[in-house]
Amino acid sequence: MSKRVERMRTEASGRPGRIRSLMSGLWRFATRRRTTGLALLILGGLLFIAATGPFIAPYDADELRMTDRLQGPNRTHLLGTDHFGRDILSRALSGTRITLLLGVSISAFALCVGLPIGMLAGFFDRFGLIVMRVVDALMAFPAIILALALMAILGKPGIANVILAVGLVWAPRMVRVVYSATLTLRESVFVEAARALGVKTSRILLRHIAINLISPVIVQATFTFAFSIMEVAALNFLGVGIPPYVASWGGMMNEGRTYVIRAPWIILFPGLFLATAVLSFNLVGDALRDRLDPKLRRIM
Amino acid sequence: MLTFVLRRGVGLLVSTFLVTTITFVLMQMIPGDPAAVMLGANATPEQIEILRESWGLNQPILVQFVRYLGNFLRGNFGDSLFHRKPVLGIIGQRAETSIWLGAAALLVVVGLGIPAGVLASIRPNGLTDNAMLLVALGGASIPSFWLGLMLMTLFAGRLGWLPSSGFTSILETGNLANLKSLVLPAFSLGFVNAALVARTTRSSMLDVLQADYITTARAKGLRGRVVIMKHAFRNASIPIVTVISFTFASLVSGAVVTETVFALPGVGSLIVQSVLKRDYPVIQGIMFIVAVLYVVINFATDLSYALLDPRIRYR
Repeated sequence: MSKRVERMRTEASGRPGRIRSLMSGLWRFATRRRTTGLALLILGGLLFIAATGPFIAPYDADELRMTDRLQGPNRTHLLGTDHFGRDILSRALSGTRITLLLGVSISAFALCVGLPIGMLAGFFDRFGLIVMRVVDALMAFPAIILALALMAILGKPGIANVILAVGLVWAPRMVRVVYSATLTLRESVFVEAARALGVKTSRILLRHIAINLISPVIVQATFTFAFSIMEVAALNFLGVGIPPYVASWGGMMNEGRTYVIRAPWIILFPGLFLATAVLSFNLVGDALRDRLDPKLRRIM
Repeated sequence: MLTFVLRRGVGLLVSTFLVTTITFVLMQMIPGDPAAVMLGANATPEQIEILRESWGLNQPILVQFVRYLGNFLRGNFGDSLFHRKPVLGIIGQRAETSIWLGAAALLVVVGLGIPAGVLASIRPNGLTDNAMLLVALGGASIPSFWLGLMLMTLFAGRLGWLPSSGFTSILETGNLANLKSLVLPAFSLGFVNAALVARTTRSSMLDVLQADYITTARAKGLRGRVVIMKHAFRNASIPIVTVISFTFASLVSGAVVTETVFALPGVGSLIVQSVLKRDYPVIQGIMFIVAVLYVVINFATDLSYALLDPRIRYR
């Protein structure tokens, strides 16, 4: 009892120090490469936009003003207007929230499916043999083809269906990464030691393997995020993603297609938002990979 | 070599079987009765029952699966719900455009990617290298449909140099000038992958250029070009071949949107239209063909390793 209290005390007193070291670690991570800092800044900006979008937008994203239609970038509409006279900047800002929301949900879905399956597949040979065959076969379908088929099967366009369809496309890739990492961890000395001490398999999996999977999983989740928001944009662009009345970057580009020669800004700016978001996630992913585990370069 | 081919061949069969199984399972997940979907809202229960009977939908799932496997092996993917014609025929009509587009995009990938990568590796951290890194990073973050639309605005809209959309069959008209319509689509599709190939070529070349036999070749007084092309490039080619074979999946994915952007009558735009119309047999047929192609390309890639590096055959 007293030992436990003592441990709790040291932990409690250690907490501010731990936060400080976490912050300084984050600072070092952000400043080690100029691009990482920049990418983190952009991500911060996007998060800010996602949180405050409707409040900082100059206009209502969905308000139709037919008198203002197809205006090029000017003083009243910084990024121009679309064929319904809607303000492109306001719509792009409003699309940020849905993009980040979908990216986070899809990565979380891929993680929740991929982590347990990949870990068990890596740990138990027979199970792994079957699972990895299926994973390989699933990966034989190009991402967008599988996502399109899943959207057709799931029925109506909608946010939940997009998360499920794109999540199911990226989950096998997560399984693959977790699987390879588990294979290496399984042979490591500390797992062998735990086994020799008679630690239960479930405990080895949770306390020794899962903990050490955190780095590769975080890195893969970052890449999943980048790829999935691009794929969601493609689905929206093709008109099979989220419903067209929700302002999204891909949806805006889809609507602007007919006017692309006359009013290229309808497509230019949402595309720039998307490319910036994807680029910064890729940069952060690269930096995380190099920082957390340089060996990952080989499996990712 | 024969054992190597045989072993990979068995893997090929297993993967094809699994791909077929996955397609079957996915199509089982479609909500509702396929026969009712096929006949539309005005069908009577009797009509639905007759169709169910003729498709064997009343039989146990395993029997259905075996039947389905048999049909697929014979290239029978059923009839399109919308066109009321065999799926394989519809895909066949659309294949020409996609094959031309794929070949042209691959030309962009290889023709831009490899020279750029080799150039960058000769002077690492030089101007070419840094410029390429920038393009590769940007290229990987740009959606190909966006690039396509922007190129269309510039070259078809403003400058009027190239057609903005559409494609007429070359096999039917015999007019090679139709390839002009594929310049913009092929570039927007290939560019992103070219960047990836360039990065891989560069890093693979840099690895090889540090090897002792390169120093030896240089010390022998061989010309720089000979050292780079004959000694370094072949040895650096395995990762490059791998990444080029990977581009297949990405080219197919890209083709789906690129064909839609440029209104090309290919397989990619066909699947999008089929998804919008819920034409399940067509979706299923395309999924199957693309996945099998992927598996076959992987197989061919494995074999090419053995040709490029004789040591691999004995592993």
